[in-house]
Amino acid sequence: MSARRSLANLRIADCTPLTKVFVQAFEKGMLARDLGVEFGRAVRDENGTLRIGSGPGEWLLLAPPGSAPEVVERVEAVRAEEPVSVVDVTHGRALVRISGAKTVDLLPKVCGIDMSDSITPDGAAFRSSVAKVLTDVVRDDGEGTRSYLLHCERSFGQYLFDALLDAGEEFGIEIEGFASNNSRSPE
Amino acid sequence: MSRGALKTGKSMRLGRQPGEVLDRSRQFVFTWNGRKYPAFGGDTIISALSAAGESVFSRSFKYHRPRGLLTASFLDPGCNVQVGDEPNVRGAHRKVEPHMAASAQNAWPSLRFDVKSANRYLERFLPPGFYYKTFMEPQRLWPLYERVLQRFAGGGKASPDAPHGYYDKRYAHPDVVVAGGGPAGMGAAVAAAEAGARVMLVEEEHELGGHLRWGDEEDLAALRRLGEEVARNSTIEVMTDSVVTGRYDGNWVAVSQRSLPRVEERLIKARTKTLVVAPGLIERPYVFQGNDAPGVMLSTAARRLINLYAVKPGERAVVLTANAEGDAAVADLERAGVEVARVEDARNGGDIGRVRGGQGAREVECGDGARIECDLVVTATGWTAPTSLLNMAGDKPFYNPAAARFFPSRLPEDVLATGGIAGDGSLDELLEHARATGKEAARRARGIGAALRAGIPQSTDGEEAPQDSPVTIPDLPVNGHLELFRGRTHGIVDYSEDVSSKDLVAAVKEGYDSAELAKRYTTATMGPTQGKLETVNAMAVIAEATGRSMEETGATTWRPPYAPITLGALAGRNFEPVRYSPMQPWHERQGARPLVAGAWIRPDHYGDPEAEVRNVRKNVGVIDVTPLGKLDLRGPDVSELLNFLYVNKWSNLEVGKVRYGVMCAEDGVILDDGVTGRLGPEHYLMTTTSSGAAGVLEWIEDWLQTYQPDWRVHVTPVTGAYASINIAGPKSRELLARVAEGVDLSTEAFPYMNVRTGTVAGVEGCFMWRIGFTGELSYEIHVPAAYGLYVWEALMERGADLGVRPFGVEAQRVLRLEKGHFIVGQDTDALTQGFGAGISWAIKLDKEDFVGKPELVWQGERDGYFRLIGLQPHDGSVAPPEASQIVEGKTIVGRITSSRFSSTLERSICLGFVAPHLAEPGTTVTVQLPNGERITARVMEHLAHYDPEGAKARG
Repeated sequence: MSARRSLANLRIADCTPLTKVFVQAFEKGMLARDLGVEFGRAVRDENGTLRIGSGPGEWLLLAPPGSAPEVVERVEAVRAEEPVSVVDVTHGRALVRISGAKTVDLLPKVCGIDMSDSITPDGAAFRSSVAKVLTDVVRDDGEGTRSYLLHCERSFGQYLFDALLDAGEEFGIEIEGFASNNSRSPE
Repeated sequence: MSRGALKTGKSMRLGRQPGEVLDRSRQFVFTWNGRKYPAFGGDTIISALSAAGESVFSRSFKYHRPRGLLTASFLDPGCNVQVGDEPNVRGAHRKVEPHMAASAQNAWPSLRFDVKSANRYLERFLPPGFYYKTFMEPQRLWPLYERVLQRFAGGGKASPDAPHGYYDKRYAHPDVVVAGGGPAGMGAAVAAAEAGARVMLVEEEHELGGHLRWGDEEDLAALRRLGEEVARNSTIEVMTDSVVTGRYDGNWVAVSQRSLPRVEERLIKARTKTLVVAPGLIERPYVFQGNDAPGVMLSTAARRLINLYAVKPGERAVVLTANAEGDAAVADLERAGVEVARVEDARNGGDIGRVRGGQGAREVECGDGARIECDLVVTATGWTAPTSLLNMAGDKPFYNPAAARFFPSRLPEDVLATGGIAGDGSLDELLEHARATGKEAARRARGIGAALRAGIPQSTDGEEAPQDSPVTIPDLPVNGHLELFRGRTHGIVDYSEDVSSKDLVAAVKEGYDSAELAKRYTTATMGPTQGKLETVNAMAVIAEATGRSMEETGATTWRPPYAPITLGALAGRNFEPVRYSPMQPWHERQGARPLVAGAWIRPDHYGDPEAEVRNVRKNVGVIDVTPLGKLDLRGPDVSELLNFLYVNKWSNLEVGKVRYGVMCAEDGVILDDGVTGRLGPEHYLMTTTSSGAAGVLEWIEDWLQTYQPDWRVHVTPVTGAYASINIAGPKSRELLARVAEGVDLSTEAFPYMNVRTGTVAGVEGCFMWRIGFTGELSYEIHVPAAYGLYVWEALMERGADLGVRPFGVEAQRVLRLEKGHFIVGQDTDALTQGFGAGISWAIKLDKEDFVGKPELVWQGERDGYFRLIGLQPHDGSVAPPEASQIVEGKTIVGRITSSRFSSTLERSICLGFVAPHLAEPGTTVTVQLPNGERITARVMEHLAHYDPEGAKARG
């Protein structure tokens, strides 16, 4: 696992090893209240898990690698009255992090959503087409630096990574290691 | 002078000019028609050529008349040139580069001696509508006409071998887009930015500043001040050599951006909250005989040449002026050392009758009949307001005869106009108007932005719409201007299309007396300049010919794009998502031939698909079936859902069992098929066809969200979550046993159509299905994807002595055809209802309800449908191509849907659809091959050609 760190204004890292748990429940139900994050927003909980309101009645939980059992257990421990499903999709999704000031120049080349602070501030989460791939995008700034997590179906991961590299070439995009990025990931 | 030698001779280059854009420290050489020419950095192709004394740059579209410089800008119709492989380059705009190879287009054998210029002597025989009248009959000669017309068509040549450039797209969401970077645009952008807006300032020229750039010291000083103000505002994104090409609903604004590093051209799709239209004014040519001769140019062109490019436009000039720009041109010409032989002041009755000269202006006949020798004729007769973007926003600009141009009428809330398009006045008055407009644009943008943000999840409570009052925008004065369109003689109106005022008058006489009709009949305004130079003159000539006023005549419709845009920019980057399985690196190492299956890249075969088939039948093969759609279904009502979506029954499926199911749409047509296993009391894993995964997910969600929202079912797509491997062949159990843990693989403990969860090659959480598509004993294992390659390699390693080999999609197609399994979409089509596909055993009409039931009930009752059957040609060496027709005499009674040569059976085998009277086993049918030959084939008892009883799969 690479720990290569870059100081470039645009960096990309493969964060696929992070645990990813997909949760479905009532949008306004007991579990939703417990998760404490609405559709379109993302917050980090006391365990370092990034809770993302990825859709109406859908949540994606991102946690350190190998922590799926604990994350699933924590969600299932909430005795919600409504039907709840908790699926470990760690293997099923690719996750890319792009960071740096130039992300606001890169993303508009591949995505039609307004990346300004007023529309998609830190903690914003939305699902859109990124380079024609259905992608969950989460703005997850760290250490005062603009940063985004891009989450898509695993089989598209290589393509998405390549498309972002290509789009970022004019901005001097550099590849960072996962371990380096993991310092900003949920721990 | 020999070709290849540097062009020498009389230089028209002036000394350093205050506002010049040249970098005199950078001098280099480029070629024009194969000859070398000097240039400075900052020169355009045409300015460099003009500095070297050249004055003819192209031949006109129809009559091949020599054409020179008219506007010295992007619009210049006579300056389209070929640069390398790139045709139709705007030579008066494109900056020349070292070693650039530019050449004239639309001329043969040379620019100076163009054979096709003989067309001008045929002018009287080439009236408007010539093509329509001449090439209508006889129709059989059209291919010949077409070849001739293509030979005479103008424009450059695009080489099919030209390398594909990098074109790009970008989305943007600015608060304000300012279209036009002249003083008004700059002022509006600064005011909007200072009011808190994010601004995109778009300018067609290479630099901001508009007419200030070629103005006097005072203008240049004002430009510097404005430039500093723009630079101070970091929220202004300046785009030069860029143009707003269109405005669409919702204030979607298209911007073509050029002069980018690495990127040939970029199309920006900007959803702006407000649009400020500030394009300035375009100087209008004057129509008279000889107005297209090289050496006849607009006053702005002369001023650009002198002040921006330090080029002396000619030696001896006659100037026709009706405004201050013309007066300023006179001053500039005199300062540049041009002898101004005569100034015809239109305000005092001055005029030009005609210009004489072949390769260039030689003599002017003035309004009073005086003839003056000259090589330069400059006209300043008025302005065209480029209202294109306003028209696209729904405005209907009105014509003001006192000012001889159009003005905005009624603009929507999100579009504003400033600068010359809105009125006249001093620079201070224009800037005051522009700043107020920019401030108001920012204010409106705030309100529109607040409305847009309403409903979007925010970290804080949504802001309220600002309640500030509208900014008062002062009125601009409107200067009077003579209506000068055509003089006493006829001349060219549309320089791009070679349409003269005489042509327009003739069109009117033929009955094409509306602007839109005359436009289409003569093609006036339809060339590369798209009306920006010629629309108003064309209207004026039509008005004159019809006896109507300009207002009554009306303008033709301005449509996007405002400026030409390349197809490359419209296409953008080639985003074609592809999907790979985790085992893709292994497939590539083994030299698998890739098969593009939708977005998936799959191994078609590894070199010898027939051998792959034989190995599956004899030993054991493994195939990567990761693309199989996989849906995780959870909840107490999943069995209800399955019962409803599939035609067969699911209520009695036990945990650990799997079942094949077929889905039909409401019309009874087969939608998808696959196997679903019950992993737990409320947990199922559904598989779909590879291509149907996304559609089935939407199908399920659609029913769940609309028809049965109360059903407690959660669906999670997990196609990519599992690497799926099918292990098939008589030794498959033995192979799996070597890697599987915790699962008894015996037939008794793990029978056909069962599923188990266990460990494979040390990887926990794998699903093992005892199913098969090949007709052999087989297992489909679904492994957590990140371990897919590892497990695949373990199977290959542990099964080496068993003869394990990979097989690809082609071998699988043969194997399943031998077994008689149909493929949805290959053996069925958009009309194949359930009973026709031979699945009557699965269709349970006694279920209370399921999707497609009413149609299937009807299909069963009416009978008469085509049936899917197994077929074997009597000549087993012939495998009819798929889609071959099955015929009776001249009647089509069926078709072959799948056909292959079976290496197992050593003969050809098929599936096909036939009319019901031919479906009886043993019937002989006739198959017509694509070459017309007919063969016979026998209808088989089963769809399966191999092991129809299924003993091997169940073994």
